[in-house]
Amino acid sequence: MNLYELKDVARYFQRGPTTVRALDDVTLEIEPGEFVALEGPSGSGKTTLLQILGALDRPSAGTVTFDGSDLVTQPDSALAELRLRSFGFVFQQFNLIPTLTAVENVEAKLAPAGGTRDRALELLAEVGLAERADHLPGHLSGGEQQRVAIARALSVEPRVVLADEPTGNLDSATGGEIIDLLANLAAEHGSTVIVATHDASLAARAPRRVAMRDGKLVDNVRAVPA
Amino acid sequence: MFYLRYLRNELVRRRTRTIVTLVGLGLGVALVVAIASLSKGLDRAQHRTLDPLAGIGTDLTVTLQPQQQQDQGFGGGGFGPGGGGNRDLIRSNLSVLTDLSKLGKPGTHFVHDFFLPGTQLTFPQSAAQQIASLDSVQKTSTGLTLLAEHQEGVVPKIVATLKTQAKTLTIQRNLPRPTAKDFAQMQACLQKAGVTLGRPQTQQGQGFGNGFGGGTGQRNDANRQAFQQCLPASMRRFRTRVTTPSQTLKQVLNPPQTNISTTAYTIGGVDQTSPNMGVVTTAQVTKGTFLSPAGGEEALVATSYAAKHSLKVGSKLNLNGTTFTIVGLVSPPLGGQSADVYLPLRKLQTLASEKNLANVILVHAKSSSDVAKVKQEIQQALPQAQVASSKDVADTISGSLVDASNLSHDLGLALSVVAAVAAFLLAALLALSSVGKRVRELGTLKALGWTQRMVVRQIAGESLATGILGGIFGIGLGVLVAVAVDAFGPSLTASSSTGSDFANLGVSTVRTATRSVSLTAPVGITVLAIGFGLALLGGLIAGTAGALRAARLRPADALRQVE
Repeated sequence: MNLYELKDVARYFQRGPTTVRALDDVTLEIEPGEFVALEGPSGSGKTTLLQILGALDRPSAGTVTFDGSDLVTQPDSALAELRLRSFGFVFQQFNLIPTLTAVENVEAKLAPAGGTRDRALELLAEVGLAERADHLPGHLSGGEQQRVAIARALSVEPRVVLADEPTGNLDSATGGEIIDLLANLAAEHGSTVIVATHDASLAARAPRRVAMRDGKLVDNVRAVPA
Repeated sequence: MFYLRYLRNELVRRRTRTIVTLVGLGLGVALVVAIASLSKGLDRAQHRTLDPLAGIGTDLTVTLQPQQQQDQGFGGGGFGPGGGGNRDLIRSNLSVLTDLSKLGKPGTHFVHDFFLPGTQLTFPQSAAQQIASLDSVQKTSTGLTLLAEHQEGVVPKIVATLKTQAKTLTIQRNLPRPTAKDFAQMQACLQKAGVTLGRPQTQQGQGFGNGFGGGTGQRNDANRQAFQQCLPASMRRFRTRVTTPSQTLKQVLNPPQTNISTTAYTIGGVDQTSPNMGVVTTAQVTKGTFLSPAGGEEALVATSYAAKHSLKVGSKLNLNGTTFTIVGLVSPPLGGQSADVYLPLRKLQTLASEKNLANVILVHAKSSSDVAKVKQEIQQALPQAQVASSKDVADTISGSLVDASNLSHDLGLALSVVAAVAAFLLAALLALSSVGKRVRELGTLKALGWTQRMVVRQIAGESLATGILGGIFGIGLGVLVAVAVDAFGPSLTASSSTGSDFANLGVSTVRTATRSVSLTAPVGITVLAIGFGLALLGGLIAGTAGALRAARLRPADALRQVE
């Protein structure tokens, strides 16, 4: 059974007098445990699609089924609950809370879900930042910040990790490490990973690539398992 | 607990914003606390000083004030001296202008105190019984408050003696020309005497010229004599010499010349048998004791007057030959009936020649709710009486205390409202701007799965915590200000003038009493609670404003803003 089933999903934005079609009739299925790369240039609709997949936004038209339930018709509180327990986000800007230490940033996700500080520390150890647990984001490097973000995203054992340009603010070496970390940990935690990127070389490493242009899916390739 | 740590971190790690908010809220609260405390201090001082009647156990004072119009007499109801208007006032205050020669032989030194009723005319003490018989009146007491003129100097010479010297006067007068008739008479007279006048008609031809003019020998002398005799009375030459005798003249000098110096003070006659109700009471004794019930030669002196004249308990006061011993210092309330010196009523009546007369009746109503009724009853019973309530008396008091008190009433409230509003606005604006700056952070929290409620709770919690801290800070600052005011409290004065200056009196009948009050700012629990409540309210308003804005954020929009 598919984890996600999207059918004719569209998302329009009203920008002054013109209507922008960020997503245009997207139909897509994603299976559990997949590592999916959403590939395309800026403005092709990757982020919008990611936000709809992560229940941060609702489509203007079409249906989104996650794990058998329709996301479009769910109330806000149910979507918040889904985001808390089933989704983990990783952002291009890391989006750590600046006044919270590394471990507290992990706790920001764990605490509402009932997790403890010890669990947060374990997760930091998993991303190799055990010693940096009490540092504020401002005192961490970009790569370290993104590791904290990955630890935070995975802290609740989510069904899906959604990453929006996770290497966009990192040099290519660090970016590679981050992708590897994300891929390995997701596999360990049994999470599906959906990564939006405009970096073709990064996308090339994903077993499944979905290419987008102007809000439409232009390519949908599933690598044949070797 | 993660949420509390988050909250604390937000406050601690966004230090500048937190401090600005705290200072803003704190100053607002401190201002409210300080103003409220000052206002309370002023009220307290005002109550002590400006509620003059409560201090002397009295609800109302009844006095007889001269009316400006002359037609209405004072005689009615056995109350008042009869007659009317200013004339009485002038008459009763005239004693000071009496014959100074009665004070002693001219040139001797004298000390004398004159007692004048000022603008409070005296009336028989029996009027008090009339008031006491009214239903709602519990008790009355009479008093005599007089304006005293203390005069000291040399008895002037009032009659001057002038002695004139003997003097001789010479008087000369010119004579008129003789008329024809006079001439004829003269001629007749001269003929009789043998002298011919006019053209010679006889043989004596030598002529008139000879005989009349130069003449010769005896003949000539005889002619002259005859001529003299024959002149008419009006034509005889008037020449006389008068000698006046030496004379002594006595003249009354007006005004007399003297070196008399005058000092004015006020003197009150106290019913010493009623120590809790009277123009001064035991409650106002600050040193020494109250007058003994027997009413001997004892006096009480107001502290301010005592300080000015270096008087203390045990000092003697000589008033027109009677020596009074000061038994106590008093701090009388300002207003109508305060005086510098107090004597037993009977003694003052004797000194001032006001036997059985009083000029104020103090009235204590059975209950405070009856005061208005009593006032009306007295006014009905004694139409000429002027009945004053505490408020009426307080209204006559002026000075910086009153100004400050009015200021605190008028401006204090407005100022604290402005301060509080400004503080709240600042807090709300900062909360809003903070939410504005934290859009991404709040969007991230929503992406992490925080519900609307959790985000709102966090933002509101932060604002509330700021409010609590601001309240504590403000209360501390306000208390500090209040303590500083207590420590270095500026002095405020209140003064009360009784009576008015009647220009035609020649003497001032205005009695002025001044009291200095040190300003305090008592901080009450209520004030603190209000201050704290305001800060909390400010925090809540700010929190709600911020939280509502946070709640409207859509997570996707929040994240999109940074792209």
